[in-house]
Amino acid sequence: MKKTISVILIVVAFLIIYFLQSNFFTWFNIAGIMPNLFVILIVFVGLFAGKKLGLILGLIFGTCLDFFIGRYIGISGILLGTIGLLAEYCDKNFSKDSKITIILMVIVSTALFEIGIYVFSLIRNSIDAEILPFIKILVIEIIYNILISIIIYPLIHKLGYALENTFKTKTIMTRYF
Amino acid sequence: MNRKKKTGIVGVIVTIIILIILVVLSNMDTQNMSSAENVIDYLVMPIQNGLTYLKNKISGNDSFFAEVDSLKAENEELKQRNSELEQSLREYEILKAENETLKEYVNLKDKYTDYTTVPASVINRDISNYSDTIVINVGTDDGIETNMTVISDKGLVGHVISVTNNTAKVQTIVDTSSSVSSTISTSRDTIIVSGTLEDNSLLRAIYIPTNATLVQGDNIETSGLGGIYPKGIHIGTISEIVNTQNITDRYAMIEPAVDFTKLETVLVITNK
Repeated sequence: MKKTISVILIVVAFLIIYFLQSNFFTWFNIAGIMPNLFVILIVFVGLFAGKKLGLILGLIFGTCLDFFIGRYIGISGILLGTIGLLAEYCDKNFSKDSKITIILMVIVSTALFEIGIYVFSLIRNSIDAEILPFIKILVIEIIYNILISIIIYPLIHKLGYALENTFKTKTIMTRYF
Repeated sequence: MNRKKKTGIVGVIVTIIILIILVVLSNMDTQNMSSAENVIDYLVMPIQNGLTYLKNKISGNDSFFAEVDSLKAENEELKQRNSELEQSLREYEILKAENETLKEYVNLKDKYTDYTTVPASVINRDISNYSDTIVINVGTDDGIETNMTVISDKGLVGHVISVTNNTAKVQTIVDTSSSVSSTISTSRDTIIVSGTLEDNSLLRAIYIPTNATLVQGDNIETSGLGGIYPKGIHIGTISEIVNTQNITDRYAMIEPAVDFTKLETVLVITNK
C-alpha cells in the first residue's frame, strides 16, 4: 500500500515537473536555456528507491515525454531508464548524505541524457554537429540543474529516506565519499 | 546540528538568489536600460517620497486628514466603482482576445486563398533545449496527414511529423534537424535553410552557390523543391552574411518572419 502511494506521488511529481518545464521554465530560464528536472527526478528515484523502480519509471516517463512532444519514441525512455539504473550503482559506492554526490550524479546524468539525445538526433537525421553551441547549452543546463539540486537538496534528503524505507528492506552500508 | 541546519538554509537562500540574478541578467535587454540611472532612482525614490511627505506635513499641507469621514465614504464609493470598471475591463479583454484570434484566422485564410487550409491552435511546445517542435490541436479527424505544411500569417512554420486523431506534432523550421530548400527572392538562387543551435530564433542558410549575390535584407521563400513545402511561402529575411576563407563554406543568418515564441494560431495546408 505504502509502495503504491509512493509511486503515485512520484507520478504526480512527474506531472508537476512536466507542467513547470512547459510553462514556468520557458520564461524563467538562463539565456534561453531551461533546466532538465526529469533527470533530477529519475536520479532521485534510482538513488533512493533502487534500480528496479529507477529503470521502470525512467523508461515509462521517458516514453511518455517522447509521446507528448518528442520526435522519436523510445530514446528518452532508454536514457532515463539508464540513469535510474546507474543511480543505484552510485548509491552502493557513495554516500547519499553528501551534497557533492548528488550534484556529481546530476552533472553526469544530465550530460549523459543530453549527449545521448543529441548524438541519436545527429545520426538519425544526418545533420552536421554543432559542437561548440551544443557544449554551451549543455554547460548552462548543467549549471541550472546544479543550482536547482542545491535548492531542493533538503527536500530530496528528507523525502528520499522516506522512499528508501518504503522500497529498500535491507540496509546498505555505504562507503562515505 | 542546529548550526549545520542554519548554514544549510542560508546556502539554499543564497543559491535561490544566485539563480534569480542569473535568470534576470541573462534575459535583460541590454540596449534599453540605463542601469545606473535605474539603480539610483530605485535607491533615491523612497527617500525622496519620505522627505516630500515630511515637508508637506510641516508646512500645514495635511488637509488630507481633515475630513476623514467624508473621505472614507468617497473611498468606498470609488472602490466600488473601481471593481465595476475592472470587471468591465476583464470582459473587454476576453472579447478583444477572441476577436483577435478570429481576425487572425480570417487574415490567414485571405492571404493563402490558393491553398485549402485547416486552422489550428498551438497547444504544447517543446521542453528540450535542442529541438523545436510544437503540438497543434488538429489531427487525422480534421484531415491532417504527416508532411503537410504548416504556416502562419507571417510565413512558414514547419511541417507535420506525426499525427493522432486530434493532435499533430509539427517540426518547426528553427529545429536543428529541419532543412528547407529555399530561394532568394531577388537573385532566385537556391539555398538550404536549416535551424541552428547557436540561436534558436534564427535560421542558417547553407549551400549558397559560389556565384550567388547575397544582400542583407533579402527575402527568402520556399523553392518548392523537396516535396514537402509548396513554392513561394515566405520564410524570413537575411540578417547577416558570414564570409569564410573558403567561399563554398560561407553562410548567412536569416531572421524568420514568424516569431516562434509567440506563435498561437497556425494553418495546415491540406492540398499540395
